[in-house]
Amino acid sequence: MTIDFEANDDELMAELAELVDQFDPVPTAVVAAAKASVVHTDLDEELAALVYDSDFDDGTPLPGRGELARVRGSGGRRLTFEGPALTLELKVQTERRLIGQLLPPQEADVEITSPGASFTVHADALGRFVADDVPAGPVRLRCRGRGVNPARPTRTEWVTL
Amino acid sequence: MGPADAAEMVCAAALGESAAWDALVERYARLVWSVARAFGLSDADAADVSQTTWLRLAEHLPRLREPERVGAWLSTTARREAMRARARARRDLPLDDLDVAQRGGDVDERLLDGESAAAVWEAFASIPPPCQALLRLLLAEYSYAEISEALDMPIGSIGPTRGRCLERLRVRVLADSTRKGALAKTTGVA
Repeated sequence: MTIDFEANDDELMAELAELVDQFDPVPTAVVAAAKASVVHTDLDEELAALVYDSDFDDGTPLPGRGELARVRGSGGRRLTFEGPALTLELKVQTERRLIGQLLPPQEADVEITSPGASFTVHADALGRFVADDVPAGPVRLRCRGRGVNPARPTRTEWVTL
Repeated sequence: MGPADAAEMVCAAALGESAAWDALVERYARLVWSVARAFGLSDADAADVSQTTWLRLAEHLPRLREPERVGAWLSTTARREAMRARARARRDLPLDDLDVAQRGGDVDERLLDGESAAAVWEAFASIPPPCQALLRLLLAEYSYAEISEALDMPIGSIGPTRGRCLERLRVRVLADSTRKGALAKTTGVA
């Protein structure tokens, strides 16, 4: 294929179309992952929205950002998810270790899910939990309280760690 | 595809029709991918942005307030995720590298059927990522309204920007070929 640079814009665009298809198509794995996304849908739980991400902190207050989220510290990315019944504060440490705090504090099973796998850790009566070897890529957390007055089951939005 | 069709696909997908979901993916996969590329993300980061965006659509599907604007919803979500990914990359990269961290796909030399195609692709990969993204979205035949949402750009500036981006591409290819010609002359290596 040769490119005619005297060609008008429309002709050049037609030639570019072939190049993009040849050199940078949307990878088939990306399309397959997108198609598989729908099997992860579950409507039984309440959704906790991501309201704060320290990696994405340009200083602008986000609507609904929790008071606690403004307490920023060094040493890892901090994320806050807020749901109607439960707030999750997360700190992402090195080695893919997550440290979490449930608010209001309560005992709970916390399931960490990625599209390929999931595992469950236990949050103590003070709502604290630790998860190691969290997979890279999109993950979400499901919390099922099991102490006195547990919040309704809550899951976070998907987030890429 | 009109907005009514998009709304129908969203509603059918929300009711569990997997064919409708697949059709949504087929229709918008390139849009999401191009938005990620517009932020100069690597293959791996663009794949994560894409997957997170689709997972989020899947969980929001029954709650989508304006199903006919699903393309805009995907664009906004992908753009926000891409900005997060770029912030993470920025944390890991020296600042000076960012401006040159513009990229297209990986070119396998053996696949090329002619030098000029390779040269043009190299030039395309070196123009600013937002320019690449605009051209990709136009090539994929998204509407001006969808492109405007995807790139956060007024509809009125899409046409003029397209012209400027193509001009940059032309200049880039010419500059590259001139430089290579000069190099061949001084070193004696073609």
